[in-house]
Amino acid sequence: MTNDHLSATFAALADPTRRSILSRLTNGEVSVKELARPFNMSLPAVSKHLRVLERSGLIVRSRAAQWRPCRLKARPLKEAVDWLEHYRQFWEESFDRLDDYLQEIQRTNKPKKKQTQKNKSIK
Amino acid sequence: MPARTKQSLEKNIPKELVIIRTFQAPRALVFKAWTDPKQIAKWWGPRGFASTVTKWDARPGGSIRLEMCGHGMSHPMGGVFREVVSPERLVFTTTSFEDEKGNPKLENLNTVTFEELNGITEQTLHVVVLKSSPEVAQALAGMNVGWNQTLDRLMEFVLKPA
Repeated sequence: MTNDHLSATFAALADPTRRSILSRLTNGEVSVKELARPFNMSLPAVSKHLRVLERSGLIVRSRAAQWRPCRLKARPLKEAVDWLEHYRQFWEESFDRLDDYLQEIQRTNKPKKKQTQKNKSIK
Repeated sequence: MPARTKQSLEKNIPKELVIIRTFQAPRALVFKAWTDPKQIAKWWGPRGFASTVTKWDARPGGSIRLEMCGHGMSHPMGGVFREVVSPERLVFTTTSFEDEKGNPKLENLNTVTFEELNGITEQTLHVVVLKSSPEVAQALAGMNVGWNQTLDRLMEFVLKPA
């Protein structure tokens, strides 16, 4: 469930136009028309991007006004850094260390026949 | 799950996490690394943390007590083993982020299973969150220094004007 959310968030973020839209919304509410202005794009094209952002929950659009201003919603981004993800990271890093440790003990536990012979021949 | 029911159910849904890892090591060796307190101390905790293991009694009913220190912080942890089936399965609870009274803010049930194929071990960790409080998020976030830096960079990248 969390992963589906995250996928939607990251998929929405994958497009440079959409990132740019989000970036503009960090300053506050902006109307669709205003949002479309800097892009060489038709209103429907911009609306399509807005729909993706809306569906991923990254923005909210006012239902009241005809010009439907858009507002950035931080929650999905926060969810992308959900505490469970932090907990996952806790384990992933522990397992990286476990992996290193297992490699290390296997190296040191291996019979060092070849090395001993080498050492002997050097002597 | 339909979006409309998610909100109301969210609090009641047990939070779960599954992490699968493979190690280039025989299962017995991996299992030992999980059950020997001396070996636990070698790898338990994120990078930058060192763990002092006071108790790691890998027997049903055996207790866990350790302390993770790093980045100027110290995190005591406790827990109890429920199942120990050598070399294939471990079930134990972990409690962490204790308040002043020693009550944990986070309690998890962890099931680790080990499967071996041609000297390679597949380890599956299944975590079920039994208890958590909002402060846990922040505390955990604070522990993942490297991860936070990565996310900061991601956010910067994401919100950077194209």
